[in-house]
Amino acid sequence: MDLPFVKEAISQLFSKTSCAMYPAVPSEAAPGYRGRIVYHPDRCIACGMCERVCSGNAITRTVEKVEEGDKITLTFNLGSCTFCATCADFCSKDAIELTGDYHMVATKEEDLLVSGTFIKKPPVKKAPAAAPKADAAAKPGTEPDAPGCSIAPRDDGKPVCDKTKCVYCTLCAKKCPQGAIEVDRAEKTWNCDYEACVACGVCATVCPKKAIEM
Amino acid sequence: MFKKLIEESTAKSPWLFHINAGSCNGCDIELVSVLTPRYDAERLGFKLTGTPRHADIVVVTGPVTSQSLPRVLRAISQVPEPRCIVTMGSCPQSGNVFRGSYSVAGPLSKYVHVDVDVAGCAPKPEAVIDGLALATQILKEKRAKK
Repeated sequence: MDLPFVKEAISQLFSKTSCAMYPAVPSEAAPGYRGRIVYHPDRCIACGMCERVCSGNAITRTVEKVEEGDKITLTFNLGSCTFCATCADFCSKDAIELTGDYHMVATKEEDLLVSGTFIKKPPVKKAPAAAPKADAAAKPGTEPDAPGCSIAPRDDGKPVCDKTKCVYCTLCAKKCPQGAIEVDRAEKTWNCDYEACVACGVCATVCPKKAIEM
Repeated sequence: MFKKLIEESTAKSPWLFHINAGSCNGCDIELVSVLTPRYDAERLGFKLTGTPRHADIVVVTGPVTSQSLPRVLRAISQVPEPRCIVTMGSCPQSGNVFRGSYSVAGPLSKYVHVDVDVAGCAPKPEAVIDGLALATQILKEKRAKK
């Protein structure tokens, strides 16, 4: 009698299983896997770029006025996230991180929220911030026609435009997450609202002429 | 005695019914990979069934489009109690990138009580197994209450 595959069947019976025996054998995600979001509120400057680029509307930002300044809370809803990592790519301060943790199972929707809070102090209270206030007040008259003084970098890390290099392409104004920069192509003016500016550095990065210094 | 035997054996082997409510197919493929030999959820007792009337666990993928909504609700209403509804991926929980579209009626929790959410886009098969294990426990609790 000829029994086909008997040898194969017996050898398979004693061989190692080809299954990933998952719950018994824990498994790690592959390197570069984009899983649970970790948010570092200590690095965040609340520029709002992540919120703007998020395709799933997973990021919400709430601002609450408290004594020391603005209490800013960012909430990431993992139940609405596509894990595309665009927010992490766009974050200029590396405050958002996508980890390899894929165990995102919940019975309540609240369990899928990742949030962080920090207090943003207003620039008026700090001593070095007194200068930008005066600068901002003097801005409308001085900036357009005094290119010499605007090249010197500011001490608070906010952008200044080198009028000799600038071609008024308006790219910085388009990219600014706060809408703080105003550029007029016809008039050839570059103005920054230093109170709205959060010094994220996006304008300096995108400037094709490298005319902006932080 | 027979009833007890049946209850014990059904608790060990919950059957799945999968509803695609307008999914992009990403989650569907992951669910299939959970059931096929690599992850083989059948060794844990999970079995895919073709009819909602045999099912214990309903797995919903997709953002629940307005076309699929009446069918989803009808299929879910045919699943006998106690049942457990698992949403797979971000779409049925919130609509994800389809949120706000004219043809999306979700999220699913607006219409039925959702027991387990498995987040991810698409979730890893391991995460799906975790979710199904949690659903089995919830099912057990629901049976005990009955």
